[in-house]
Amino acid sequence: MSSVRTSLTTALVATVLTVALSACGPRPDPVHKEQILAMGTMVNITLWGVDNDVAQKAFTAANQDFNYMQTAYHPWKPGPMGRTNQLLALDAWFSANPSVLPLIKRAKALYHASDGLFNPAIGRLIGLWGFHSDTLPKGPPPSKAAIERLVAQHPTMDDIQIKGIRVRSTNPAVQLDTGGFAKGYAVDRVIDHLRRLGVSNAIVDAGGDLRAIGSHGGEPWHIGIRDPSAPGILAEVDVKGDESVFTSGVYERFYMYKGKRYHHIIDPRTGYPARGTTSATVIGSDGATSDAAATALLIAGPKLWHRVAESMGIKYAMLVASDGTVYMNPAMAKRMHFEHKPPKVVLSAPL
Amino acid sequence: MTRADIVVLVLALALLPMLYVKFWHHGAAGDEVRIMVDGKPWQVVSLKHDRRVTVHGALGDSVLEIKHGAVRFIASPCPSKYCIHSGWLHDGGEFTACLPNRVSIEVIGARARYDAINF
Amino acid sequence: MELSVQPTRADHRIAWLTALAITIHIAESALPNPLPGVKPGLANVVTIAVLCLYGWRMAAWVSLLRVLVGSLLLGTFLSPTFVLSLTGALCSITTLGAAHLLGARLPGAGFGPVGFSLLAAMAHVAGQFYCAYWLFIPHAALFTLLPVLMSMAVVLGVINGIITRTMLQRVTP
Repeated sequence: MSSVRTSLTTALVATVLTVALSACGPRPDPVHKEQILAMGTMVNITLWGVDNDVAQKAFTAANQDFNYMQTAYHPWKPGPMGRTNQLLALDAWFSANPSVLPLIKRAKALYHASDGLFNPAIGRLIGLWGFHSDTLPKGPPPSKAAIERLVAQHPTMDDIQIKGIRVRSTNPAVQLDTGGFAKGYAVDRVIDHLRRLGVSNAIVDAGGDLRAIGSHGGEPWHIGIRDPSAPGILAEVDVKGDESVFTSGVYERFYMYKGKRYHHIIDPRTGYPARGTTSATVIGSDGATSDAAATALLIAGPKLWHRVAESMGIKYAMLVASDGTVYMNPAMAKRMHFEHKPPKVVLSAPL
Repeated sequence: MTRADIVVLVLALALLPMLYVKFWHHGAAGDEVRIMVDGKPWQVVSLKHDRRVTVHGALGDSVLEIKHGAVRFIASPCPSKYCIHSGWLHDGGEFTACLPNRVSIEVIGARARYDAINF
Repeated sequence: MELSVQPTRADHRIAWLTALAITIHIAESALPNPLPGVKPGLANVVTIAVLCLYGWRMAAWVSLLRVLVGSLLLGTFLSPTFVLSLTGALCSITTLGAAHLLGARLPGAGFGPVGFSLLAAMAHVAGQFYCAYWLFIPHAALFTLLPVLMSMAVVLGVINGIITRTMLQRVTP
């Protein structure tokens, strides 16, 4: 009869195990979510592990911050950045608004680090293409002559000189369009603000631009990265602690004209939309750097991206080329969990 | 119990934790879709029943299709049709938006598969 | 014209055992159902006992007749419940057949009632589950139920196996 006892014990163990496992089922998750329309996109804010009061305070703060920065950093609407752009065109020293000065300083540093590929001084070119406006242009694209004229004037961040709070531009063609960068900078500011309010687990996601701090109840945050050329999710990446995941994609803003696609990421070297790459994803520490890097890597393309990522201090980068080939560094490859296998993956040297 | 019985039981007991990890780890398919208009919650619709939902946005009507527990945009008055190209959303946390029309949808469920979508 | 059927001893045995299985099946369907999709499956005790005593062919007869007649009596014939029941029975009987063949080749005594019952219960749940998913509720959320159903199958499979064995120990000297 000892075998009856053995099997009864086994059955008991099975029961206990099953009950114990069933207890790990989904529990209500202390997650708070809010959506804010700002900076030309939908900002989704996720908080974990705070009570309702803190969450409401945090959402109000984030809302105010985003609304303020949307006005402050708008390149041509009345506001600090709009005013700065008017004054830059005058070729004289002026006192910059304190809200835009740190942004300009960061932009100058990132311009250098990116070998000039991240160049927010080409505001006039962006305007010529019509991508500065909230509504998408319908075409036709600008004339070759007009584009070449603006490229020849060669506006760069080096043309902007800063002395204390005094700023001037030595090139009248310089107009700042911080589109590829202000969102990242704003995400950083909001994360700082949330931390001051006592939030330690959060995601601030401004479209393709997100920064995540803390964790989802001890588990990493799961971030889905959209497939640039097909419906659905391309890959998942898990982040924990404090990291930013930024994606620049040519599908974000574009228009079709006579069967040709014109997108919003303008290559400062040619004056035309960047070619060869459909999206660039960067995982970095702060939002501003990651945002600028994603833009710069997309413009750099499959040949140059590795060098640019290196000089910008980026540790994780991925490019999706127009033919679907995925380029990334080995450390990035370890973190990317692809939902569908990409047609071709090219691993670079380590970053 | 014979030796074969014990082997089967051990294998079965080993299989169970794997099943829990596989099907419960990632959260799972969502139950509902939260539709936001102009950044404000507009409606939460169950994914259980197949139907079409028309959402009045800033530019006009966006049409959502709900089928087999998934939701997608099938029409929207935006130029890029980005929302339609996002395809079917079924896992909790999946999100897409028609920015020009100020309409966004997010699948909600027990534990979202994704905490955020980078797009 | 007259059609005469000469029932063999085996036919009688199938009929009696099927009747027993159907009785258990119907009695069980009257029990309250705390979890949808979870049933003790006591009728399988008969299937396993038949398998051990008279072999696989007889067990298959008993199992399939039980599903067919049971559904006719309960009024669920050709309904989704019947389709699920039949799929479950087909899967478990196929698995039992494989285990029976395999067991004969294994060193030692092959599978005993507990092993058979556990395999049958798990095959039953797996078959029913995929059938439910493909035919009736093609919703990925259904998969969250699978671990729970499988856990119940393991527990109940073992319990039914022990019942079968105790029963067999009494009927076979």
